[in-house]
Order: sequence, then structure tokens, then C-alpha cells
Amino acid sequence: MNLWLLAPELSLFFTAVVVLLLGLASSRRGIVIGVSLLGVLVSFVFAAFLWSGTPQATFNGMLSVDQFAVFFKFIVLAALVLVILASADYDYKVEQVRAEYFTLILISAVGLMLLSSARELITIYVSLEMSSISLYVLAGFLRDRRSSEAGLKYLLLGSVASATLLYGMSFVYGLTGKTELGQIASAIQSLSLSGLLDNPALLLGLVLVAGGFGFKISSFPFQMWVPDVYEGAPTPITGYLSVASKAAGFAAVMRIFYDAFGAPSWLGQNWGLLFAGLSIATMTVGNIVATAQANIKRMMAYSSIAQAGYIMVGLAAVSMGQSVAPAARSALAFFLASYTLTNMGAFVAIIAFSNKTNSDLIVDYSGMGRRAPLLALGLTLCLVSLLGLPPTAGLIAKVYIFNAAVQQGLLWLVIVAVLNTVVSAYYYLRVVKLMWLGNPVSEEPVPSSAALRTALFLACAGILLLGIVPDLLVRLSETAGHSLL
Amino acid sequence: MNIPYLTLILFLPVAGAIVVALLPKPEQKTIRSVALVFTLLSFFLSIGVFLGFDRSSAAGTMQFEEKLSWLPAIGSAYHLGVDGISLVMMILTTLIGVLTILVSWKVTSRPREYFIWLLVLETSILGVFTSVDLIMFFIFWEVELVPMYFLISIWGTGRKEYSALKYVIYTITGSALMLAGILTLYFSVGTMDMAVIAQTDLSKATTIIPLAGIFVLLLIGFAIKLPVFPLHTWLPDAHTDAPTAVSVVLAGVLLKMGGYGMIRFNVGFFPSVAEDAAPILMALAVVNVLYGAAITLRQTDLKRLIAYSSVSHMGLVLLGVFALTPVSLTGATLQMFNHGVVTGLLFAMVGLVYDKTHNRNLGKLGGLARQMPIVVVVFSIAGLASLGLPGTSGFAAEFLVFVGSFTSTTVTSARVLTLLSAFGIVLTAGYILWMLQRVFYGPPKEEYNRVPDADRVEMLCIFSFVAVIGLIGIYPAILTNVIQVGTRSLTVLVGAP
Amino acid sequence: MTVGLQHYVVLSAILFSIGLYGTLGRRNAIVVLMGIELMLNAANISLVAFSRYLTPPALTGQVFALFVIVVAAAEAAVALAIIMTIYRNRRTIEVDKIDLMKW
Repeated sequence: MNLWLLAPELSLFFTAVVVLLLGLASSRRGIVIGVSLLGVLVSFVFAAFLWSGTPQATFNGMLSVDQFAVFFKFIVLAALVLVILASADYDYKVEQVRAEYFTLILISAVGLMLLSSARELITIYVSLEMSSISLYVLAGFLRDRRSSEAGLKYLLLGSVASATLLYGMSFVYGLTGKTELGQIASAIQSLSLSGLLDNPALLLGLVLVAGGFGFKISSFPFQMWVPDVYEGAPTPITGYLSVASKAAGFAAVMRIFYDAFGAPSWLGQNWGLLFAGLSIATMTVGNIVATAQANIKRMMAYSSIAQAGYIMVGLAAVSMGQSVAPAARSALAFFLASYTLTNMGAFVAIIAFSNKTNSDLIVDYSGMGRRAPLLALGLTLCLVSLLGLPPTAGLIAKVYIFNAAVQQGLLWLVIVAVLNTVVSAYYYLRVVKLMWLGNPVSEEPVPSSAALRTALFLACAGILLLGIVPDLLVRLSETAGHSLL
Repeated sequence: MNIPYLTLILFLPVAGAIVVALLPKPEQKTIRSVALVFTLLSFFLSIGVFLGFDRSSAAGTMQFEEKLSWLPAIGSAYHLGVDGISLVMMILTTLIGVLTILVSWKVTSRPREYFIWLLVLETSILGVFTSVDLIMFFIFWEVELVPMYFLISIWGTGRKEYSALKYVIYTITGSALMLAGILTLYFSVGTMDMAVIAQTDLSKATTIIPLAGIFVLLLIGFAIKLPVFPLHTWLPDAHTDAPTAVSVVLAGVLLKMGGYGMIRFNVGFFPSVAEDAAPILMALAVVNVLYGAAITLRQTDLKRLIAYSSVSHMGLVLLGVFALTPVSLTGATLQMFNHGVVTGLLFAMVGLVYDKTHNRNLGKLGGLARQMPIVVVVFSIAGLASLGLPGTSGFAAEFLVFVGSFTSTTVTSARVLTLLSAFGIVLTAGYILWMLQRVFYGPPKEEYNRVPDADRVEMLCIFSFVAVIGLIGIYPAILTNVIQVGTRSLTVLVGAP
Repeated sequence: MTVGLQHYVVLSAILFSIGLYGTLGRRNAIVVLMGIELMLNAANISLVAFSRYLTPPALTGQVFALFVIVVAAAEAAVALAIIMTIYRNRRTIEVDKIDLMKW
């Protein structure tokens, strides 16, 4: 048992406690945000040390500290930096309880970071709930009608999902007598089954677990909470939900399904096919419904559902082939990293606009190219990256993940996915078009704070950098994909 | 030290765009001069490459190669190079690049953004023609969408936003399928290097899906771009509503990306499948030529008329490519160059006429011969080149296409199809002469009495086009020599001497 | 008749179904919350039963259930707090009247 292996999470948790205590003394914006960012930095340094270590399991195999987990910790930390900066301007709405707001964000990040390491059912459940419960509160944090409605919906549906997950886990446990993923895998193999239908308990466990996590990664048919919660929640939290919680969710799904249900190969094929099917439904529903949205946060919600569909292409590729596919895992990791930057960037720009206009309607973005050229340029870049056009990270991520899928013989899935991106062109470009071609509602420029500008700049620089020299991050994600314990 | 010529040619326009973007509060004059300087540099360098290109039979197909590691995880590298075919296309692009700047000389609405997009557009097209790596090719193919979208939807006319979106949706559909095709190809051959794939006998490789499947996935994207009937419907809208310079680029080089892709991918990689598909595609080519010409006859809008004539002319390219003989392929490539220059000039002329008369309707124009003599002469030359009058580049190109396809032995019905499409020339003569007559001859109209003729910049621009048309018309070998170096390596070619 | 594993499993399945019905079929947010608690406890019963009958010396299932109980308590606290804010805002906790944003 080596506490150093938990240093990123522990330091972040410590920061959360400090921020909370600071709130008793003073809740000045500068101090709270400064301390939070400092904590993230410390945690990042610890994580960077873990990156260079050898992959190992700790706490009796409950947590695995491999590059795959550390990669997702980096993603969560990057999202955390952006969300803290994005909240800097937004938090006038929560001034009384500012310290609590940031504490909850930090604690949920600790949960997500643990989730990306967890390889034991109890740990997975507890870290999932640690992040979720904080996020329920954050979604309802504004306490106005919309926000509390978002909080309630998120909480009720989220709890149903985690109860479902838990019930599924109890079957997996009942079947194998184990809670550690590796042991579950060997127990399943020793049952020497020949098909999923041979063992209803396994089938039920698999489906229920997939359902519980399907909620977290907003897969069809568990996507219906997404638009409402995204629309009502404070915008920085919406961005955070859409990237960090989704990324860690995918990491956990990857780990559970690959580690515990990866062998024998028919089992892998089975759930691979399940995710391939869900992927098609998810991206199609997301893209088609997104075209009809009038509220930009709702549009981004459906867009993030569609993006989850693309990521699931990678998930399907992980298990579908004859051979093990580290390439698909790397592609998944790279896609999530690029998606995190892109989607957070887009939400930062949206926050900046709505701070001024107090509206999230797409029509109010008309003529923003003239009122706030830099913000509009940033948002354009993010949307173009989501659509997957060069020279952005989004394109590389798509090519990379589709590449892995074709390698595994999923050409049909890739064709559906690429046709889906065509549909998405319609709604992404509609916003771009309005910003640059529409007539401004007023000539008043849209100011933005230094924190927001920094966040947007960081996100855009990352998107461009990864689009032009992707090899930097691709190497890291390759290491991550190969390191899985 | 090796000078990376291709990289310079490729990125000079974008460098110009960056300079324009960084200038503090530039005037329109400064912007256009910067743009002109950078495109000229790129053009001169490409002429340098043209002169330095080894035409001897011993020479390798890919020349001026540059290779850097870029994304090893999916086998992709930064890999540039030109063979005979892409060299010609590259020169066409840099030439049109310079001329579009001249055509846009008087653009005053948001000039900075306009010239930036124009320059980015040039780089992306150059990238398509000079990439040897499949992923690079795909990326540049996609880059082109963004500037085109903005150029049409901001500086266009009419239903510009609709046309721009239609253009994007069509192209993105094609390129999406192309990506699937490229990835499948990659896993069948194990390399992203086009030159290597062209050497590989794919019929012996184990592929994920049948070869014909990959062929079709790739073909659709190119067919949309070329455009091939019935995927052509985006073209008249985009052309008509785009600003003049963008129409010039669109007709001049963007359409050629489709033809180039077909030669390089469909014919170069899948000779056996191309042979099987040739009769169907040649038949489609005939439809393109005749349907395009027939519908052109019914147009009353000057710009729309030229746009539809492109459909007809690009049909000849399709015919030449899939007749699969060395002569017809050379002809098809030359036809791409010729169409680029001629139709580019025609669009520039339409732009001139429209700028001065504010009218594009054939019914309302007339008798301009007196008022704008220079415009009339140049317009007539362009028109005659378009219908393939001997002595112009149009003749050389169309002649080669017809001779090449007529003698094709691969495709059984090649003779009939060639004769049918030759009938398209008659229709072309019909609409070109009719158009010239309606616009320029007949009684002069009073309202156009004060209309000025072309000024110096415009003359410089249009006479450069005319010079090129004349040069290729009189001495086509200057290009065909080079093109043959490229077609030589295409293994299918039956009946090669 | 002795009470065996299957009885517990069936009991937990029944409880889970009742809970699921409560969450999907009832309108009052508090009742929905109770449904969720039923679902969690169904999982607890099955965890403990599996642990008791299948892996007798190890207490993994019981420990798991303890964790679940703790988490469920936290969840309920947050849920009640959010329901309170909703009630203050609109004087109702009927889920189908909380429809500012369309589902």
C-alpha cells in the first residue's frame, strides 16, 4: 500500500478541504480561485510523476495506477482548470457560497480521478457516487427554477441509473463471488460457457451494468436527461458534466468491460456488438435532434450525445476484433482528450456571450462576429473541431478512432458514423453562419473577463496544436492504450 | 542543401494570409498587394519546379519528394511530391491563384477576411495536388470547405447561404465516404503512401471488403466534385451565387480535384476494377456531356449558363479518364487544365460584364460590342476556346480525349460513346455562339452607353488568360510531355505504344 | 420449507421491480425517491444473500452493502435539499409539473 500512488487525488481532496475552510474566513474570488488552481497544479505534478512509473495495482488490487488511468486524470485536471477559469466570471451568481461551489467541483474531480483508476466493483461504485452526488448539487446550485429543476432531474434519473448499476453488479458478484475485475474475468472463464444465453445471470448483470454506465456516458436510450440538465445547470457545470464526467465514465466502462468481460472472445464480441448498436442509435438521435434546437446549450447537449456515439465506435472496436486492440484504446483516449478541450472551449465562449446577453438562444448569436470577433473566432474553431474539419484536433481524433474501427473490421459502423458527421455539419455551421453573417442585434461589444479569455485561449491553442502536430499527444495516448493492467 | 520547393509553394499563400491577418489596420490596397506578391512567388516557384521536372523516360514518377514523420500511429507522414499529372494541376492552381487576386482587385467589402480566405483556399487546393500521403490528401481536401463556405456565404449574391450550405453538405458527404475508403485501403495495403499503393497489385491483397467497394467509396467523393450526373446539382447554385473570383477558382481548379482524384485513386490503384466499371462511367460521361450541354441551352442567366457548360465539359474529362488509354488520359488531364483556364476566363468575363452593366440576364443585355470592345474580343476568344476551335487549348484537349477514347480497346462500346459525346461539341457551339450574339451583338442599348471597357488591371488579368489559352493551343506538347510522365505509370493502360 | 438463496434473489427482484415502478410511475418526487431507496435496498439484499450463500467466510457482499447504505444516505440528503428548493420555488413537488424545460 503506497499512498504516493494516490497523491493526485489526495492533494486535490486536501485542496478541496482548504477551500472549504477558507470560505469560512473570506470568500474573496481571487483567493478561492487561486488556491483551487494551485491545488490542481500540485495534483498535476503528482500525476506527471506517476506517468513515468510502472503500471501497478495498489490497495489489494482495488486501484490500478497505469498510464491509462493517469491519462484520464490529466483529462479531468485539464477540464478542471478550464471550468475553474470559466466559473471565475460566472460565480457572481453564487457569491454567498462561492467556496462551497469550488469545493464541490474539486471533490467531484477527485471522484472522477478515482473512477479512472478503479478496478474493483465497490471502488467503482463509491467513486462514481462521490462525483455524482457533488454534481447533483452543482447542477441545482443556482437555486432558481431552472437550475433546481435540472438538479432534481439529474438526481432522480442518476440515482435510478446507479441503483440499476448496483443491481447489475450484485449479479456479477453473485455469479463470480469476486469484486475485483481481474478475478471476475478468470471466474467467468472458468465457468466455460459457450454463449451469453447459457447464463442469464451474466446476461442480466452485463446489461444492467451497461445500462447504469450508459446513463453516465449519455448513451441511447439513457440520453433523455442530458438536454434538460445541460440547459438548466450553471453553464460552467454543464461544460464540466459534458467532458470530465463523460471521460471518466468512458474510462470506467473501458476498464470494466475490457478487464472483466474481455474474455472469452465471444463475450467481448457480444458486448462490442452491443456498443456498436448503441453507438449508431446514440449518434443518430443526437445529431438529428440537435438540428432542431433553438437554445445553444440544448444544441450542445445533443451534440455531446452525438459525440458520445462517436466515442462508442472506439469502445466497440476495443473488443470486436480477433486480436486485442490497444490502438482502439489509444484512439478512445485521444478522442476524449481532444473532445474535452473542444467542448470546454465552446462552453467557455458560450458563458462569455451569455454573461452579456443573458440569453442562450441561438438567434441571439447573430452578428457576434462583429460584436466580439475573438470570442466568435474561438467558438467557430471549437465548432469546426467538433464537426471534424482540419486543421483541428477534432479531425485527427475522428480519423484516429475510425481508423481503429476499420482495423477491427467495423467498416459499416464507420460509414454510419461519417454520414452522421454530415448531418452534424448542418447545426454546427448554422451557429457559425449566424455569428459571421447575421445582423447584430445591437452594436454593443461583448466584453469578457481575463479568466474567460485565458480559458478560451488555452482551449483553442490546444485544439490547433493537436490538429497540426497531433503526434505529441498521440504518443501519450499510445502509451496509455498499451499500459492497461 | 535541398530547398523544399513544394513546401514553399504550398505554404506561401497561407503565409500571405498570416501577414494580411497581422497587418495593423491595413488598407485594401496593401492587402491586395500582399496577396498578389505571395501568390506570384508561389507561381514562380511552381514554374521553377516545372522547368526542373525530369521528363526523361528514366525519371522516377514522383519527383521533388519531401517526407517528414507526422503521425506514425496511423502510418501517416508529411509527404509531398509531384508527378506529371499533379505538376500540371499545381501550375494551374498557382496560375489561377494569381489571377483570382487580380479578379478580386476591386473587392472592398471586408477585404481583409476576403483575401485571407482566398489565400487559405489556394493552399488547401495545392495541398490536394501535392500530397502523396492519403491522410494529408484527405485533410487538404477537407480544409478547402471552410474558406469556400465563407467566401460564398459572405461575399456571394442571391441565395448565397443556401448555396454555400448545399456545397458543404455535398462535399462533406463525399469526403466522409472517402475517409472510410481511405482507411479501408490503408488496412488492405498497410501504407498511406500513394506512390507505394500505386505499385501494389491490390487484386492480390486481402481486403476487408471487396475491391469494388473501396473503389465506390472513393469514387463518390470525386464524382460529386467533378461533378458527375446526377450528383451535379450543387454546382449551378454554388457557381451562380459565388463572387466572381470564387467562381473562377471553383471552375478553374476545385472541379479538377475530382478528376485528379479519379486518375490517381480509381485508375491508379484499382486498374482491374476501373476496367470493369469503365463502360458505366463512360456512359455517365456521355450523359454529362449531352445533358449538361442541353440544359445550358436553356439558361438565361449568363453565370448559370457558364456553370452548366462546366458540367458538360467535365463530362469529357470523365470520358477520357475511363477510356483508360494513355492518349485519352493525357487528353483528360489537358482538358482539366484547359477547362480551368477557359472557364476561369469566362467567369472573369461574366464578372466584368456584370460589374459594369449590373445585369446578367441574357434577355436584357445586348449590343455591348460597341461599348466594350476589349471585353467582347476576349469573351469571344474564351467562348471559341470553350467550343474547341483549332488554335486554342480547347481544341488540343478535346481532340486528344476523343482520339484516345475512340481507340480504346478496353471498353467495348467506346466508339459509340465517343461519337455520342462528340455531338456535345455541336451543342456547345450552339450555346456559346448564341450567348455571344445575345450579349454583344444586335442593336446597342442606350442604358449601356456609358459603360466603361476593361481597365488596366482587368486587361492584365484577362490577357494573361488569353496568352495561356493561345500557348497551349499552339504548342500543347509543353504540357503533354509532362503529363505523359505521369500517365506512364498507370499500369492499366491498354494499347500503350 | 427452508429459506434458501433463491428466495432472497426473488425477494430482491420483486423489491427492485416495485422500486422501478415507483420511480417511473409515480409523480410525487418524495415517492420517486422512496422508489430509488427500494431499488438500492433490493441490490443490498441480493449482495448480502450472495455473500452469505456463495462465499460464506468472505464478507465482501456485506461490506459492499454497508457502503451502499452510506452512499444512499448521502444521496437522500441531497435529494431532499433539492426537493426543498423546488418546493420553495413553485409550491409543488409533482414531477410532471416540474416541466420548465421540455423532456
